[in-house]
Amino acid sequence: MPRFNFWTVVMILTWVMLFVLLFIPVGSVLVSSLYDQSGNPTIANYLKFLGEPRFHQAFINTLVVGFGGLIGALLLGSIMAFCVSRFVIGGGRFVSLLAILALVSPPFIGAYSWIVLFGAGGVVRGFLRDMGVNMPPIYGVGGILIVFSLKFYPYVYLMVSGALSNVNRSLEEAAEGLGLTPLQRTFKISFPMVFPALTAGGLLALIHAIADFGTPRLLGRGYNVLATEAFTLYSAEVGSNMSMATTISVVLILVSMVFVLLQRYMSRRNVYHGNMINKPVRIKLKGWRNVLAHVAVYFIGLSGAMPVIISVIYSFRKTSGPVFQSGFALQSYERILFNLGDVVRNSLTFSLTAVALIVIVGTVVGVLVARRTNFNTALLDGAFMVPYVMPGIVIGIAFIAAFNTGPIVLTGTATIIILSVFIRRLPYTVRTTASSLRQISPSMEEAAISLGYSPFQAFLRITVPLIVPGIIAGGMLSFVTAINELSSSLVLYVGSTMTMPVRIYLLILDGDFGTAAALSTVLLVLSGGAVYIAFRFMGRNEQALL
Amino acid sequence: MSYLSVNNATKQFGESFKALNGISVAVERGEFFTLLGPSGCGKTTLLRSIAGFNDLTSGEITLGGANLRVVPPHQRDIGMVFQDYAVFPHLSVFDNVAFGLKPRKVSAEAIKARVAEALAAVRLDAMADRLPAAMSGGQQQRIGLARAMVINPQLLLMDEPLSNLDAKLRIELREEIRDIQKQVNIATIYVTHDQEEALAISDRICVMNAGRIEQIGTPQEIYGNPQTQFVATFVGTLNFLNAGAALDAMLGQLNLSAAAAKSWAVRPEHLDLLVDGAPTSDGATLSGMVSKFTYLGREAHLQVETEVGRLVVQLANPGMAATKAVGETVSINVQPSAPMAFDAEGRRISSKG
Repeated sequence: MPRFNFWTVVMILTWVMLFVLLFIPVGSVLVSSLYDQSGNPTIANYLKFLGEPRFHQAFINTLVVGFGGLIGALLLGSIMAFCVSRFVIGGGRFVSLLAILALVSPPFIGAYSWIVLFGAGGVVRGFLRDMGVNMPPIYGVGGILIVFSLKFYPYVYLMVSGALSNVNRSLEEAAEGLGLTPLQRTFKISFPMVFPALTAGGLLALIHAIADFGTPRLLGRGYNVLATEAFTLYSAEVGSNMSMATTISVVLILVSMVFVLLQRYMSRRNVYHGNMINKPVRIKLKGWRNVLAHVAVYFIGLSGAMPVIISVIYSFRKTSGPVFQSGFALQSYERILFNLGDVVRNSLTFSLTAVALIVIVGTVVGVLVARRTNFNTALLDGAFMVPYVMPGIVIGIAFIAAFNTGPIVLTGTATIIILSVFIRRLPYTVRTTASSLRQISPSMEEAAISLGYSPFQAFLRITVPLIVPGIIAGGMLSFVTAINELSSSLVLYVGSTMTMPVRIYLLILDGDFGTAAALSTVLLVLSGGAVYIAFRFMGRNEQALL
Repeated sequence: MSYLSVNNATKQFGESFKALNGISVAVERGEFFTLLGPSGCGKTTLLRSIAGFNDLTSGEITLGGANLRVVPPHQRDIGMVFQDYAVFPHLSVFDNVAFGLKPRKVSAEAIKARVAEALAAVRLDAMADRLPAAMSGGQQQRIGLARAMVINPQLLLMDEPLSNLDAKLRIELREEIRDIQKQVNIATIYVTHDQEEALAISDRICVMNAGRIEQIGTPQEIYGNPQTQFVATFVGTLNFLNAGAALDAMLGQLNLSAAAAKSWAVRPEHLDLLVDGAPTSDGATLSGMVSKFTYLGREAHLQVETEVGRLVVQLANPGMAATKAVGETVSINVQPSAPMAFDAEGRRISSKG
């Protein structure tokens, strides 16, 4: 076409954006890992990684917490999904709410709440000791795995319960007619049908477990993983080792990539599109089975939401300095009001700016990916996978590596924090916009064109109103992720750009749990509000939270 | 010159696939013209080329004498009805139908009057304020029809509008479409793969296969006098007769011959059962054994093994006594007008020697 093409410009700008915000940072990480501290090209960093037992240990530990978290999340998530979608559970919606609560809870307040309960001086542990039961404190790899299982099970639960309620009941009835026992039916029919959802949920748990930095940091007590190693090497006051930090970042990216590709390979042939004539029904269990199912579901749900409940309660406790007193008061909230107003304001402005950018850019690029299908957009789609698998710590280090010197210097600005959140969450919006566009029949726009509207007018009057509710909902969910973002901000913040999650982290390190709990509660209320608005716009759809 | 004419239309996808391979059709004012063929025959491609949603590789399309290919689709003034209805879910029934009147600068009162009239024509006047999402497929397609007609387009295109509906509704709605089209007298091009629908609704039918036209004609010509083997099998069914001495004998008896004939066939409804087995004055008689009897209510199909092969005989209004048992011997009467001859390319050839 000879005339000026809007979409060609969008395509070019998108590639420029990806180049600046993704390829340059990732490239800088790669380049930096190939130089020594004095600027000579070398592969010594990788040799050091291979040679030093400490890094070996971190690598193995990362895999241990990754797979341990994966197994725990799969176990808890599928038990809960199976019970909720197949049996009548009293208060089923409340159970889903508990799962959502675990999902949107502020980062590593979870770890700290578990320390409050089961740590060296933990409340529950102390109580049990008085009763004569001596249990070990929660520190170490066991504690990390418990926290990961309870923190990441909602990924599996939401994925699998969605898939389970979409298994056509006729299939199970057919299997029943062929003489399979209930147990055989579950493993031979239902299991293969939900397998893709299981691996997708498991992958999310695995990637988050590998990327998680706060939990091993607080609970590990010397149990080092790659994420903590990278952060320690980067942030050490004396002898900060950027090239070694970037080397570990490269390893982390590779590990995440391998798992994403593995999951794609495993669920490649296993997508089933059933007709939904015969929806599954929930069975009402009787007697001890019923009790067992309820106990299992509520135990998992309440345990997962425990950190949130604990921090809400502790936020109202009376304190004297960092020490809790008996009784309740609003002191912690007063401290936020008088001392931490700028932190709250930072978090809100950064998140809202990032979300506004994500919504606008994500929608336009989503339309590009969905509607202009050619080689370039397929490549674009692939490029958008990269930020999805990058751990936050790595994004932070990559941005520092790219924008500390050179033509664009952003270190220490609000812009760098906003952009890091933007690039991490952008793929989500691009994907949801593209997939909701693919669900709108192209004949809808053609009808408008045949009625006399130009293609652009038809898009504006027909397609846009149809995807706007989904875009608003997606924006709200991006807001939840943005405002809770910790690990990249931790690398990128300076005194004036401190955000709420960073402040919570520092408060916990300082032992001021009251203020941390109050700040977490504020975060929780903001996240909860955003989730509520999202559900109002698109109907209650827990899976959109993933 | 015809009202709409398509000349030598070719549409190439990729290197080798020709969805349209030199198609020429002409449609007159007020005519109901149907494109009939199996999926992948190019009928929808042709329709979408006329609508402007895809462009031809070569060829020309004129409407009222003007070249249509240079006009962008939104300025073609062509109404279109879609297979998946394409009703706008966020607009009320009224707003859906009024949608095409707004860019035409029609005054608010005129919009009200014209939409009301269109909705009355499709019997949806009581539902003007409702949202279409919860409405049935039949009602949604009525909205689609009203929306396409209310703009008084120069041409109405329908792309398999009934194929997502159930059988009973399909018959009901096709009658309505035909009545409304005759009332407003808009030239209409209708795409379907359903032969019965095409016969019932059309003034003329164009049967297409693999990007080419097989035959254009009235429903009577298409069914009664098919020009190719493809048309004869796609519109209706055929019994093919096995070559051999028995066939030659039968053709001789009927005084039929065709030197170039590759195959001979006869429609099930053109065969009769002889009640007492005695030969009639005209026609030939084939005897055979019943191998299957299928009762369908208003007709029955009798499958008979004869010397010229397996023949299906259609019995109209089969009474209780018409039932035949498997293994029973029957005689079939073949009239001279029944057999059709086709040459090696599948073209129909004269059977009168």
